[in-house]
Amino acid sequence: MLGYYTRLAFKSFRRTPGLTALMVGAIAFGIAACIVTLTVHHAMGRNPIWWKNNVLYAVTMDSWDPHQPYDPPHPNRAPGQLTYRDATYLYGSDIPKRKALLSFVTGTLSGAPGQAAPVWTMTRITNAGFFHMFDVPFEYGGPWSAAADQGPEPVIVLSRRENEKLFDGRNSVGHTILWNHLRFRIVGVLNHWDPQPRFDDLTGGGGGNFGRPARAFVPFKWGPALHLFPNGSMSCWAAVNTYRELLGSNCVWILMWVELPTRAQRQRFLDFMNAYWAQQRTMGRFQRPRNNHLWKVSQWLRLHHIVSNSSRLLLRLAFAFLAVCLINTVGILLAKFLRGAPIAGVRRALGATRRQIFAQHLVEVAMLALVGSAFGLLLGLGGLAGVRALYAHSYSAYGKVAHFDLIGIAWALALAALSTLVAGLYPAWRIGRVAPARYLKSQ
Amino acid sequence: MTHSEAAMLRMQNISKIYRTELIETYALRELSLEVKEGEFVAVSGPSGSGKTTFLNIAGLLETFDTGTYELDGRDVSRLSDDARSRIRNEKIGFIFQSFNLIPDLDIFDNVDVPLRYRRMKAAERRKRIESSLELVGLAARMKHLPSQLSGGQQQRVAIARAIAGDPALILADEPTGNLDSLMARQIMDLLEKINGMGTTVVLVTHDAELARRAERNIHIVDGVVLDSPSQAHSPQPRAESAAD
Amino acid sequence: MILNIRPVLSAIKRNPTGALLVGLQVSITLAVLVNAAWIVHQRVVKIEQPTGINTRDTFTIAVSGSAKQFNAGAAETEDLAYLRSLPGVAAATVADGVPLTGNGGDTTVWLQPGHRGRFVPSAEISMDIEGIKTLDVPLIAGRNFRPDEIVPYVPGKIAPSASEAIVTQALAHALFPHGNALGKTIYGAVPKTIIGIARNFMGPQLGSPVYNTIIYPRLPGQGNYYMLLVRTQPGRRDAILRAAKKHIAASHRYGVIVYTQTFATANSLMDSSNRNVAILLTLVTALMLGVCCLGIFGLTTFNVGSRTRQIGTHRALGARRRDVVTHFLLENAIILAGGALLGAILALVIGEWLTTHYALPRLNLAYLLVGIVALAVVGELAAWQPARRAARIPPSVATRTV
Repeated sequence: MLGYYTRLAFKSFRRTPGLTALMVGAIAFGIAACIVTLTVHHAMGRNPIWWKNNVLYAVTMDSWDPHQPYDPPHPNRAPGQLTYRDATYLYGSDIPKRKALLSFVTGTLSGAPGQAAPVWTMTRITNAGFFHMFDVPFEYGGPWSAAADQGPEPVIVLSRRENEKLFDGRNSVGHTILWNHLRFRIVGVLNHWDPQPRFDDLTGGGGGNFGRPARAFVPFKWGPALHLFPNGSMSCWAAVNTYRELLGSNCVWILMWVELPTRAQRQRFLDFMNAYWAQQRTMGRFQRPRNNHLWKVSQWLRLHHIVSNSSRLLLRLAFAFLAVCLINTVGILLAKFLRGAPIAGVRRALGATRRQIFAQHLVEVAMLALVGSAFGLLLGLGGLAGVRALYAHSYSAYGKVAHFDLIGIAWALALAALSTLVAGLYPAWRIGRVAPARYLKSQ
Repeated sequence: MTHSEAAMLRMQNISKIYRTELIETYALRELSLEVKEGEFVAVSGPSGSGKTTFLNIAGLLETFDTGTYELDGRDVSRLSDDARSRIRNEKIGFIFQSFNLIPDLDIFDNVDVPLRYRRMKAAERRKRIESSLELVGLAARMKHLPSQLSGGQQQRVAIARAIAGDPALILADEPTGNLDSLMARQIMDLLEKINGMGTTVVLVTHDAELARRAERNIHIVDGVVLDSPSQAHSPQPRAESAAD
Repeated sequence: MILNIRPVLSAIKRNPTGALLVGLQVSITLAVLVNAAWIVHQRVVKIEQPTGINTRDTFTIAVSGSAKQFNAGAAETEDLAYLRSLPGVAAATVADGVPLTGNGGDTTVWLQPGHRGRFVPSAEISMDIEGIKTLDVPLIAGRNFRPDEIVPYVPGKIAPSASEAIVTQALAHALFPHGNALGKTIYGAVPKTIIGIARNFMGPQLGSPVYNTIIYPRLPGQGNYYMLLVRTQPGRRDAILRAAKKHIAASHRYGVIVYTQTFATANSLMDSSNRNVAILLTLVTALMLGVCCLGIFGLTTFNVGSRTRQIGTHRALGARRRDVVTHFLLENAIILAGGALLGAILALVIGEWLTTHYALPRLNLAYLLVGIVALAVVGELAAWQPARRAARIPPSVATRTV
């Protein structure tokens, strides 16, 4: 019967091409709006490491000013980063399966074969655990060893982009390069790694929540060893004058991530933090209420309001738009179906059941939804390209996230097609209820 | 015409009341009648007499308030909508005054409609469509749209559609009302021919002339059967002229 | 003209679902239209806020270098001297942030020592003596920094806090709403005296309040990183930027230019997100209005089509073409009015919700009124063509059969 209904639907479209075009257009525009906004919204709210959501934790402790919360509008919120003292102490724990401290320093890279002038580079100082925890893919080589973290040894990992710039993309592992005019051995080159949003560092350092990841990575201890001031985000509530003072200060500038695979480990690490907090408190630190926290990636993303307000607003607008488009379609469908009521009456007289008339019209709706979705998809892809062009020169993340995103688009399409179908239920039901005798005599 | 004594259609004390907020109108009032298998019966009456209501109830297009209705030996008084659709599809063929062909389906597809709802195999459908169009003399017009045919031809398509499913009962509602007298005669000839092949035919009309061609006349006035003088009547053999 | 409302109402009653659906479309469209227009207005207001600085002739060069070997303190002094010696340069300064870019610090300014009492959030920027001259921001009270007040950068050290500050009018007013801020002491990490009040300009932080900025007399260099801000004489910007870039890139052995950017670009980037949201909102709202009009057009067309005979009868009984048009426009007007009523309530609810969740100013009722009028006009126009078609139905259809 499906083939028969499909043929009838085609005939129905051919009978009223104008109305059909109108409905397809309305559905397509509604769907396109949803595709664009849902894609952007989905990309913004995406968890780039969802498969490790329950084992990775960002570590926070409230070491801030006793008189004043870190974030006055949200007085219960601790700073997102740790002080050097706290970070190094917590890093000393062997409870986590993996762990890493993260900060940014700047510097130059030079000495690659054929390189004319040094290039400036945002360098991530971190630990080997970073690469393991975040499943960072390598094109050549791999992370440095745990021993290299301790030394620290002069080892460096380059991003794929940097390796392309300096070594034309060749395997540079084993080469020596000058980092800040010091000799560093290349141990690894990353493959393409550009998590969006930049969940690992949402402090705004290095280009914001949707910025590019670091171009080079060296062991964390090189920062303190060379007295390199952090070049990412740093917040202080008392003046510091020297690097040595910085290390002992309450300035927060270090992100800490730990991998705690089991609930027990998580609890033990929290206990460890609480014990440290209590001990430090007796020495006069941590005078604010205890606020030691381990954040899952998803919580961390939510906490940092990754999805922008305007994205949320546009998403709602798109849904309102889709609603108007669908109401419009329901109205036209209803009018069209009811105008065909005499024919439905004839079919009923000839033995069609209500369900068969309903199914016939629902197939017609489904085909409209299908064609509308196809056009909507094209329009939506055009719309995404439009948003990209619109935001090509902007600080906003839209240009970055308005990309073809299979899951986002699949969501939007499924949602829109389904809602069209649901919207078509009522007109199809109405026509299915037509009393068979009513129109047979009419002329 | 010989036919068995079994009843094709038996209505007993059927009443149908149309209600609005203010008034109740009896369309049928304790109507009882019987049509035997193989009979050709004309139901006549002035307009507003309840003819159409009778036809709608007989064709299971409408329900009624009281009474019982047996069709082909089965009580169909209180069936579900689905069951009634099924009976309409399998046992009844309709012929309407305004033909009621589906304008954007060609002749073939129009005759196909009831067969589709019976979920018949494609080859079987084709065979039936072709043979019933053959019978009404329109096999050559299969790919034409209704609008490309004359009124008489359209009604013949409707007849082909009515008989394609091999129904036990044909219900014809003023089938010649929209046709001139020549075409009307052809349609009546066809109905007699179909009746001759054993199908029961009930013809609803207000035209006494037409009614006289039936074996038996039933007269409805104000929702009741007036009386049914059975007139023995044997149809004269006629030359089949399919050409218009 | 006969304006008889009763037949119109009974006509609506015959197809209530159609009327209801169009009314719903109208109400949603109105609610969205009004609030979208209100949001667009807010964005445009933001775009039109004056920056308060000379964005036409100014550019930034960011310089950094090798962590240990690059002496940012010496390099910035050298670069400044070079830039100030260039003919065509009106003023130049070093800075640790760049206005309009979000690249810079923010702070909390306190009225009492020890982080107590009232405080005001503000952007902060450290600049050299020619700072406000480079930005082309006039002082409206007090004085500029003196050379001896400038805190130099010492490599390896975080520069000590300055003890003087210039604040913007907006910050001065926020701190001392009832008095003169000049000469007063404010508190952060160390106490500072307000020695000057500058005309309002947008600082490096883009969040609100955008005009709260505090300027310190201090040379940057922490993290081996500093920005050079340069204002040229009109028309000379691009040539001087090219020359300076070339010179500076070659002059430091261990230093590199991180990026250069004109203030004009920074300004347009800053506006772009507001502008783009405004564009997107306008576009989607316009499409929505279009779809709504199609709905009205469709319903009226359907009604005309299904009442052909009836219209013909009316015409045969003496209705003029004008009466037929009026009938359909009136019918549409009643649906529009119903939709507008519901839409107005919806618009106010959405407006209230936006006020609480997006800190948007409360919806201006004038927008609602204008929105209703606009939608009424557009909606009637959409019904105009099918109504005209109805008027052309000849009286003879009443007598025709089939």
